[in-house]
Amino acid sequence: MEKINSDKKRIINNILKSNGFFAFLFLLPAFFFFTLYLLAPIPLSGYYSLLRWSGVGEGVFIGLNNWSRLIRDSTFWLAVGNNFKLVFLSLLIQLPTALFLAVVLTSKIKLDKFFKTVYFFPMLLSTVAIGVIWGYIYNPNVGLLNNFLEAVGLEHLILDWLGSRRYAIYSTIVAICWRFVPFHMILYIAGIVGIPEQLYEAAEIDGANAWVSFRHITLPQLKTVIKNSVVLSIVGSLKIFAEIFVMTGGGPNHASEVMATYMYTTSFDSYRMGYGSTIAVSLFLIAFSVSLIFLYLTRKKQ
Amino acid sequence: MNKKIFIVSLILMFIFMFSLVEVEAFSLFDLFRRTETITLWDIRTPEDPARAAVEDAIARFEEDHDNIEIEHVPIQNDDYKTRLSVAAAADDEPDIFMTWGGGGLKNYVDEGMVYDITAYLEEDNWRDNFLDAAMNNSTFEGKTYGVPVTNVAPAVIWYREDMFAEYDLTPPETYEELLEIIEVFKENDIVPFTLANQNRWPGSMYYMYFVDRLAGPEVYRAAVSPDMAGSFTDEPFIEAGQMIRDLVEMDAFPAGLNAMNEDDGDSRTMLYTKDAGMYLMGSWAYSTIGMEDEITQEQLNFFPFPSIEGADGTTSGIVGTVGDNFYSVAEKCENKEMAVEFLRYLTDEKAKQELLAVGNIPPISGVADDLDDPMLQSIFRVVEEAESSQLWYDQDLPPEIAQVHLNQLQGLFGGDVTPEEKAQAMADAIEDYYAD
Repeated sequence: MEKINSDKKRIINNILKSNGFFAFLFLLPAFFFFTLYLLAPIPLSGYYSLLRWSGVGEGVFIGLNNWSRLIRDSTFWLAVGNNFKLVFLSLLIQLPTALFLAVVLTSKIKLDKFFKTVYFFPMLLSTVAIGVIWGYIYNPNVGLLNNFLEAVGLEHLILDWLGSRRYAIYSTIVAICWRFVPFHMILYIAGIVGIPEQLYEAAEIDGANAWVSFRHITLPQLKTVIKNSVVLSIVGSLKIFAEIFVMTGGGPNHASEVMATYMYTTSFDSYRMGYGSTIAVSLFLIAFSVSLIFLYLTRKKQ
Repeated sequence: MNKKIFIVSLILMFIFMFSLVEVEAFSLFDLFRRTETITLWDIRTPEDPARAAVEDAIARFEEDHDNIEIEHVPIQNDDYKTRLSVAAAADDEPDIFMTWGGGGLKNYVDEGMVYDITAYLEEDNWRDNFLDAAMNNSTFEGKTYGVPVTNVAPAVIWYREDMFAEYDLTPPETYEELLEIIEVFKENDIVPFTLANQNRWPGSMYYMYFVDRLAGPEVYRAAVSPDMAGSFTDEPFIEAGQMIRDLVEMDAFPAGLNAMNEDDGDSRTMLYTKDAGMYLMGSWAYSTIGMEDEITQEQLNFFPFPSIEGADGTTSGIVGTVGDNFYSVAEKCENKEMAVEFLRYLTDEKAKQELLAVGNIPPISGVADDLDDPMLQSIFRVVEEAESSQLWYDQDLPPEIAQVHLNQLQGLFGGDVTPEEKAQAMADAIEDYYAD
């Protein structure tokens, strides 16, 4: 009897002593909310996507009607196209710019602290504020951009930045890149700071110039960081919402629509919660599979 | 270093604890007060001239019923629609809420969310308190689901008298005369019509008036009826679309109209700076402009949308609302009796006076005798003399069709949708809607 008791004590002691138990205990509340607000809604949206439901009251089960409608919905594909334009241009503009700034700011220039702060600024502003500010910059009448172009004699470049079907999406993309460059810049700066100084010193002794040491030291050392920022940029571009919603609302006539804005207006302006859920689920599936593919491809190379 | 981390985490912990304490304190406080709360959502933000009337009604109601408190949550126009639909989806709608009547309200009624107040309106003749036409947009199949509180508001064409005098212009009777005015403004490098169409509904006013003037209000009714007696592909709708294209092509509107925001006042500012000559907008523009720029308001005058010579439509029909901003009681409200009682405060004599004071004509019978402001009198005359009245399509249509209407029109103004395409998209949306 006593032996069993002491065995029990020992087991309990072991549990209490092990980190795993406490880690579990501390993670429990976070896990609870994670499940409630992030995991559970995914299958739930999947179910809603099979309903014709206005968002109020009871929905009617209509099988895969919403899905077949989605495949034929040209607005949805336009939105997907815009998302991929954003993915592509983000990778092309955001990341190289961020990398360039990071390299410059870590190369012992004067006033580096000042510039770091200045370049970090867009990251400190709230998303909606950025949307409003850029909305004013692009404003056709009182906007900064058009007035600037007029002042320097470039009237022929004046455009209806957010109001024309052709340019609206690109104008919003520029604003989005501006907003996210500092985020990636900080990632890269942190990565560069972590690279051992000796590598550069050795390279210098061997007579490597700045480009060569960037190409053969900085880049390879940053590989993991860059990989992470690419994934973040892709996923972020696919689920972009607030910037575009504030600037154009997806308009004019869907021209700058992305999946998330289309999901939102369908659910809450057209009151088609069922179809909105269909868009939401496909947004999830697209973002999920694109990042899986990217991770798979980059893992193979290593 | 460790000490620093310790201090920082201590501070964070305090902040966290305070945030908890505050929440706790509030709920405890509520428990002991034993008052009942009725929540009220509408769009009466501080920028809204009609806010005073609602606030005053709340104050008077609370004074008469000291165990009831009205929690007023005003939300800005476009956000409001979203917030309400999100709340409704979560079964969390407020006790009293505001809609614009028509298809939007009906959507909620169909889902059993709105309390039928017909019985209250019949007892002690409360219904007689309102203008006859006012209740149409909250009455479905003989049952009434809300009372109109504000806005006898037709859309009219506003202009500055000093500008009309400067270019020797007189308000037009016919569309042909309006086209001549447009020419004069263009010759003087003034944008004839200011229009902020990012919000999409301001542009819709032109379309609705063209249809009304071309063929009268019946063609719209026929096009939206479930038996599909008419269609949005009918001639008047296509012609109305074409007339908008013509106006755009003759530069009657500002460049970049689809990027201009009505809520931000991008349209009105062009009147203040004399960069634009005319402004087709609901009659609420009179009080909005008064709040923003008194100099312009002094010069402000209006004329009704002109008639089209030789067309079969109306010459004096109005597009707009005869009573708007319907306040309804939610089916799930726990004290419907008191909620309806509050609606009486919101539509009584005192509320009427408060609204009139800010230039808003409430749809209360006999309101004509109370109008001191000559501008309000002439607005009301337009409504009284109108041979018909057409509610905004985007509020009358079921929401999903309304969105198609608004988006297609924005495309029409932007030049990437033809009148025929717009018409076809509308017909498809209607068919789709009745198919499921």
